[in-house]
Amino acid sequence: MKESLMDILCDPLDKSDLELEVDERDGEEIIEGRLIGTVTGEVYPIEDGIPNLLPPDMRDEE
Amino acid sequence: MTERTARDLAARRGVETNVYQPAEDSGLLADAIEKRGRGRLLEVGTGSGWVAARAAREVPDVSSVVASDLSPHACRAARRRAVEGGPEEAGVSDSTGDRTEPDGSGSLFDVVRANLVSPFADDAFDTVAFNPPYLPTDPENEWDDWMERALSGGESGQELIDPFLEAVGRVLAPGGVGLLLVSSLTGYDAVLDRVDACGFDHEVVVEESYPFESLSVLALTATGGSSQ
Repeated sequence: MKESLMDILCDPLDKSDLELEVDERDGEEIIEGRLIGTVTGEVYPIEDGIPNLLPPDMRDEE
Repeated sequence: MTERTARDLAARRGVETNVYQPAEDSGLLADAIEKRGRGRLLEVGTGSGWVAARAAREVPDVSSVVASDLSPHACRAARRRAVEGGPEEAGVSDSTGDRTEPDGSGSLFDVVRANLVSPFADDAFDTVAFNPPYLPTDPENEWDDWMERALSGGESGQELIDPFLEAVGRVLAPGGVGLLLVSSLTGYDAVLDRVDACGFDHEVVVEESYPFESLSVLALTATGGSSQ
């Protein structure tokens, strides 16, 4: 995901803001990292450039 | 399209059958985006990402594209397409596709794994497009895998359409437009009733008839608001 996407993402649980933590980036593109709910504390992983913003109870299905 | 033709099509193309591949309905939604899409666009339930890629690459009024899907398989397929380029079915040279980052570090569009519009901020999008899973499915015949979830709209065919209509207004910017694909198999009038109840005016942007169904894409605008 591009870092600019942060402007339009929110925590799916309560629509509050997310904080970005980056492990790996390629220019503007965030490849690995996580998004953290500033209110809920929920952690949403970013893997292979795809943030997984499913609520925790829907997240495990493959 | 029917589930049978979807599977036949996938088998014929020798592709994995857990991600919905572009078909007539995809083409129709892309045509509607060409006519009405603008600004920042979200495609909900992007599947293979084909529609999102066409929007990002070929619609000048669309400035950026986000594609979302519930399925991890669809998200990975869409992400590959976002990074590698556009709708390869086009079979034409790349002269219009210069919006891809040349060094491969960027992508044509962003992919987010999401349930409908739930992780997107209020007023975030000028256009939200959705080709929902719409086939009415007998609960006893649901086969419960990712392809089933890409096709089945539950017993009524409307299981994903209702929550979409209830939620999409929140993420549409003032004057924004929703583009919803509706099949006669779902029941056109039933969907229109819901559209109305959720506070949208509608107009038909494109429509097409096939032997077993007719497909339309509706432009939805907030009742009393203006779309352009």
